[in-house]
Amino acid sequence: MFYLITFTFVYLAITVYFSYLGYKKTTTVSDYLLAGRQVHPVVMALSYGSTYISTSAVIGFGGISALYGFSLTWLTFLNILVGVWIAFVVFGKRTRKMGKALDAHTFPELLGRRYESRFIQGFAGFVILVFMPLYTAAVLIGISRFIEVYMKIPFSTAFLAFLLITACYVIWGGLKGVLYTSAFQGVIMVVVMIGIGVSTYSSVGGIVPGHAALSKLTYLLPENLKAMGHSGFTSMPTGGSSLWWYVITTMIMGVGIGVIGQPQLSVRFMTLKSDRELNRSIPFTALFIIFTTGIAFAVGALTNVFFYGRFGQLSIQAVSGNVDKIIPLFIDIFYPQWFVALFLVTLMAAAMSANSSQFHAIGTSLSRDIFEQALLRGRSVAETTIVTRVGIVFSIFATLIIGLLLPESIVAIATAFFFSLCGATFIPAYLFALYWKRATKAGAKASILCGFFLSLLWMLLVHEQESKAIGLARYLFSSDSLLGHPWNMIDPQVIALPVSFVVFCAVSYFSQPVKTETIESAFRHI
Amino acid sequence: MLGFSDTWVFIGYALTVCCTLFCLAYGIINWRKGITEKDGDYREEIRWEKEEIELIEKLP
Repeated sequence: MFYLITFTFVYLAITVYFSYLGYKKTTTVSDYLLAGRQVHPVVMALSYGSTYISTSAVIGFGGISALYGFSLTWLTFLNILVGVWIAFVVFGKRTRKMGKALDAHTFPELLGRRYESRFIQGFAGFVILVFMPLYTAAVLIGISRFIEVYMKIPFSTAFLAFLLITACYVIWGGLKGVLYTSAFQGVIMVVVMIGIGVSTYSSVGGIVPGHAALSKLTYLLPENLKAMGHSGFTSMPTGGSSLWWYVITTMIMGVGIGVIGQPQLSVRFMTLKSDRELNRSIPFTALFIIFTTGIAFAVGALTNVFFYGRFGQLSIQAVSGNVDKIIPLFIDIFYPQWFVALFLVTLMAAAMSANSSQFHAIGTSLSRDIFEQALLRGRSVAETTIVTRVGIVFSIFATLIIGLLLPESIVAIATAFFFSLCGATFIPAYLFALYWKRATKAGAKASILCGFFLSLLWMLLVHEQESKAIGLARYLFSSDSLLGHPWNMIDPQVIALPVSFVVFCAVSYFSQPVKTETIESAFRHI
Repeated sequence: MLGFSDTWVFIGYALTVCCTLFCLAYGIINWRKGITEKDGDYREEIRWEKEEIELIEKLP
């Protein structure tokens, strides 16, 4: 407890200092112009990385990796290729230029102004307001599971306590100076994750012996997992099996591709002054991802070797089936107490940096995108401040309720759900906004609505993971899924994203383009 | 193959490392590129930053 209190106190003190420093730096425009408010590439990389990678990746996907093994390596690959290189080079550079040209400050605002549509801005804000609390809850559940294991207290108490801490942080200045605080939080994450990676691999005798030891545990796999297509911790699931479809389309592609449509990440590009800063951030962000998710997924899989060595059983058996407890239990059992406390502070950093950006996105969605643009038709009024606060309080309560209602082993699933929904809804409209001058308002509207509703329908009626839990398909059609294998295992994004792309092109082809002046203005720096 | 039983896992592992190296190379090659902005961008920067500060002020 001594270590925990000391580390937490030091961490919070530094966070508050950076928060104050960042806020102070953004208070005058002259500061920005004279001192440049140039965001250092490392700061940008750490800030982007720590917003992107949260407790969800470490606890949720680390646990999933313990269950499905090194197949999750493909997610790390996509995290770097899509989440870093494509996000920065293909999307980031033009987002920054177009965002400035259109004076856009939120992701929905960028789309709304580019397509001259208040509806698009309002609807995108609505999607964020309603569905982002699910992701916020997933992030908080991640750290709460760790607190539950470490402090031996009930999950609901841990969840409530940490939500309270986060709420205080967000309400008393956490949203201001986000860039600096999240960069500091990113440093902690990298250092501790490298420590875990090095110690784990050295304990199992190195990279190759560690992987070989894990390969030997295949015979211990439970029969139900084998029947689903699990063929070992260092193998991909059997091609075409239900597990293969699930791991590839939901766990790997859902998050790996859906990251492009994440509103809290794309706004980061707009804060940069030039493409040079963006170019310079790319290597640091890639390193951040490989040191955090790469290590989390590898360690997640290798936990099986440790649990087998100590208890003669696999990780999933050691936690009685709750995937979200695997990493917490592993750290708690196999590391010294001071390190466990340090890891908890790391999770705190990961949760706070992701949460503050999420609450920021939710608050501005309600005030700027829904209230000012969609409802007040573009008028800015004094009440906006109150509406923003209402939005943030709403999201905190929504997170509370969702977090307490969600079942076990949910962190990675809820994250993948939100990424997948955002991907299918926003990616076509976002990509064409940046690259296709002929893209029309009607095309964007149709694509966004199609991506969103097709994803929801697929979840309610076909994708068994959700449709079984919700029960609508069974109520209406006496079956958990309208379609059989493999459709019932294919992630909604894999279906909805191509459809919304086709809808976008088809509707744009037959509808009126956006006004020439708007296009010229939007593309004037590109 | 690094102790993995499946080539596809090895490929994923190798691609992760290669992709990180590619990002490092990209950053180094383009380290000095991308500073030139078109005319008017400076005024836009001021406008954008003012608006951003107002937006931040409205947050709790």
